[in-house]
Amino acid sequence: MISINEIIAGAKKREVIAIFLFALIACAAMFLDKPRGVPIYVASIVAIAIAAVFIKSDSVRVAVLVAIVLLSAFSIVSNGVKFGIDFSGGVRIPVLLEKSVDAVTMEEMVNTVKTRAASFGLSEVKVRPIGDSEIYVEMPQSSPQLISDVENLLSRQGVYRGIVDGKVAVKGEEIYSGTIMKIPSQYLQGADWGVSFTVTQAGAQRFAEVAKGKGNYPLNMFLDRPTDAILILSEKQLMADAASKSRVVPIAKARALQIASSSLALENDNITIYIEEAISQNFSLKPATNKTRAIVTANSSLIPELRAAGFNVVEKTDAEMTPQYVVSPESPTSDSVSVWKAVGLMSAPRLVPSVTEGIPNFSYTINGPAEGANAQARALDALKKERELESLLKGGALPVQISLGSKTVIPAPLGEEFLRLSLIGLLFSLLAISLMVSIRYRHMQIILPMIFISLAELIILLAILGSFTIDLAGMAGILAAIGVGVDAQIIVTDELLKKEGEMQKRLEKAFSIITTSVMVAVVAMVPLLFFSGLVEIIGFATATVLGSLLGLFISRPAYGVIAEHLFE
Amino acid sequence: MSLTMPNPYSGNYKLLVAVPLFLVLVSLFFIPQIKLGVDFKGGTLATLQTSQPADVDALKAALIAEGYAVSSVKLFSIPKGYEVEVEIERDDSITRAETLKSTFFEKIEEVSLLESDVLVTNASADAVSKYAAARQEIDKISDELFAIALSSKKSSSITNSNDLKSEVSAAYKQITDGYSAKLSATLSSLVKYESASFNEVSASLSAKFIDKAFMVVVYSTILVSIVVFLIFRTFVPSLAVLLGAACDVMIALGAMGLFGIPLTLASFAALIMLVGFSLDTDVLLTMRVIKRKEGQPRERAYDAMKTGMTMSMALLLAFVCLFILASVTHINTYYEISSVAIAGLLGDVIATWLLNGVIVLWYLERGGQTGDSQKPFLSSIFSN
Repeated sequence: MISINEIIAGAKKREVIAIFLFALIACAAMFLDKPRGVPIYVASIVAIAIAAVFIKSDSVRVAVLVAIVLLSAFSIVSNGVKFGIDFSGGVRIPVLLEKSVDAVTMEEMVNTVKTRAASFGLSEVKVRPIGDSEIYVEMPQSSPQLISDVENLLSRQGVYRGIVDGKVAVKGEEIYSGTIMKIPSQYLQGADWGVSFTVTQAGAQRFAEVAKGKGNYPLNMFLDRPTDAILILSEKQLMADAASKSRVVPIAKARALQIASSSLALENDNITIYIEEAISQNFSLKPATNKTRAIVTANSSLIPELRAAGFNVVEKTDAEMTPQYVVSPESPTSDSVSVWKAVGLMSAPRLVPSVTEGIPNFSYTINGPAEGANAQARALDALKKERELESLLKGGALPVQISLGSKTVIPAPLGEEFLRLSLIGLLFSLLAISLMVSIRYRHMQIILPMIFISLAELIILLAILGSFTIDLAGMAGILAAIGVGVDAQIIVTDELLKKEGEMQKRLEKAFSIITTSVMVAVVAMVPLLFFSGLVEIIGFATATVLGSLLGLFISRPAYGVIAEHLFE
Repeated sequence: MSLTMPNPYSGNYKLLVAVPLFLVLVSLFFIPQIKLGVDFKGGTLATLQTSQPADVDALKAALIAEGYAVSSVKLFSIPKGYEVEVEIERDDSITRAETLKSTFFEKIEEVSLLESDVLVTNASADAVSKYAAARQEIDKISDELFAIALSSKKSSSITNSNDLKSEVSAAYKQITDGYSAKLSATLSSLVKYESASFNEVSASLSAKFIDKAFMVVVYSTILVSIVVFLIFRTFVPSLAVLLGAACDVMIALGAMGLFGIPLTLASFAALIMLVGFSLDTDVLLTMRVIKRKEGQPRERAYDAMKTGMTMSMALLLAFVCLFILASVTHINTYYEISSVAIAGLLGDVIATWLLNGVIVLWYLERGGQTGDSQKPFLSSIFSN
């Protein structure tokens, strides 16, 4: 039997105290740094599990299990358990990429989808990469209108507009998309990067007319420039880049406003700029039509007044609202805003005088310098700028063709009901298994630790999987994992119940069986888990594999120690 | 309970093999009858929540009359009312439109490049003829797509390839939107439902699922075989373990055919998991019997069986709970995973103790090697 003294003696060991101290610090860190609670939790249990593999002492094994259970319980309370739309209700649309992509391209694609979703005002949309050939787009609500909006934004291309001095000079639909390509470095003539493209007959005509005599003017390139809109930004946002410390000569406020206004100018569809501080004193804005949008910083105090006045409020982040300026003292006509995400202004190259003579020309190039501390950084920057420009000219087209997968719609009340019943099912299965081991072994000393360990595994699994997302398949996997967990304890118990041979030897035998079967079970799941990209069922595979591994590294050794003492 | 179980290996145990072999033969008969779920077959699975039970036969007849290829209509009772599940096969014209659209987008970039060449080279004869040939090819695709979309557009009247591209996108969207809209309109005119969810799997998606699933099966089999051979390092016991697992999966597949459990991603995951579960007891048996020396092999096998039965029972209980949960909530994922797992676990009991057990004992009694001189791979790290 285990005596209280033994437990106290074990708890006083230096390693044990260190583990609990570590767990305590991790809990405090999770509590204090909530946004990073999940990474802290995952990192700390991995650290403790590694310690468990290397420090082979009985008291440490038990301490590791207890510490991880406490950490997990704390994580469930502090970080919460995230449930997929199966349980919370909502819509999921998988976006399938036609081929596998590398991490950089994937990030680019996820960002493009996010940007488009934001430009539609769909801020609740969650976009996340799944493996290397799929992206999940999820929304908490499920109105048919919202679904079709998202499907539209995914399948449709963005609208590219190149504007010179308030007139449209290049339209995306007049560019031959097949001709948009990087210029090989030997033809760059001093620039670090370049992209060439060819326009249609109509496009060439338009550009010739609009750009005539506009040498050195900026070509303001927009992706999905808002129509019928006003922009309200704070003085701080207007000046953040203009007066930044990295500028040799700061731009004065009046000039900054002038540059910003001219970059948004467009015949018949100007976007007028208002300074938040100025209009909040005496609010008197009226929308031009019932569709007029007011682009404003998220959480601005003006939003209620704008809504009351009849504007359609579009909220943007502080970074998106802040314009980035490019000025040159020698040529003030080329002063421009180079990036202004809130209005879709993506780039503003300067027109070289030779293309502004009014003669129609089919092929154009856009080139520029790259930034970076060394040659390698500059080469990477050049590549990035080329890709961005290519994507922009193609109307924000994704680098890889996509198709929409099978969408899943779960009404919220149904999801909640599913969750409630599933949790009951989880407890029920724990109860049924406890009952079975009680009938089989009939000794409290055996039954109680078994139940305790199963419960511990359930808590750990819920905390780990809940840090990411538990979907239907994941829930089924957790249920299965309870059964898997008990299995290994049965092996240990049966081995120890045998009378012949040394205790240590028998325990070793039990562990070698468990190690082997866990290894085989995990190996069988590896292709499904890592290489298939079948996200629909990965939750299930993760839960069962995690269940096996947790047991192997953490709970089985602890159970072995407890059982060994019980049988002495 | 299991303590009073008689030792099946006491008599002429070799005859026991007949049971698993018979079950495998029966399974072989049922395996071709396995139905493919929407995931692998493509199509639409509409789930409608209703407050009143719907007339299943009338609904099916009405949908068929509307021209839908209905594969099944089922009615279930759920905690808050009823659920009607309608499975419709992928419409041929949609599948065709999908193929046309992806071929079109594969080629359009090149056509666009050729068209610009015509402009840039000032309509040189070479550029013009190349463009005309390429254009003719995509015109044919576009016209077929316009025809499916019931649109009056003709590719010949669209001179610019950029415009053609947007027209083709619009036509494709019209086809798919039109199909979904018509289906939900038809359903809502036939059944009064509170909420509905649609699971649509396109032909290309289901093809992708099949590819991936096949790949998983191949790699899992290879990896597991390698690991098992590494662990046991003798031919007959390794083969016995793998045979036990294969037999188990066969029985599970047979049960799927017999009870109409469709092959979906969820039941596929359960099958792969079964390999792991099945090997669990196979490994226990083989290690206890082959790698140990105390007592008679038959007693060791019987001993292992007692432990193994308790293990299978625990797993079975977990999945029975999931099955009960599935019949209450009618969640397909739960239902498919639990029923495949239950069938597989029962199959595992038979495959492990009546097939694998017999092979291992026969091998030992014919003079095969025992002994635990070799520690299994890696176990020295994880155990004491």
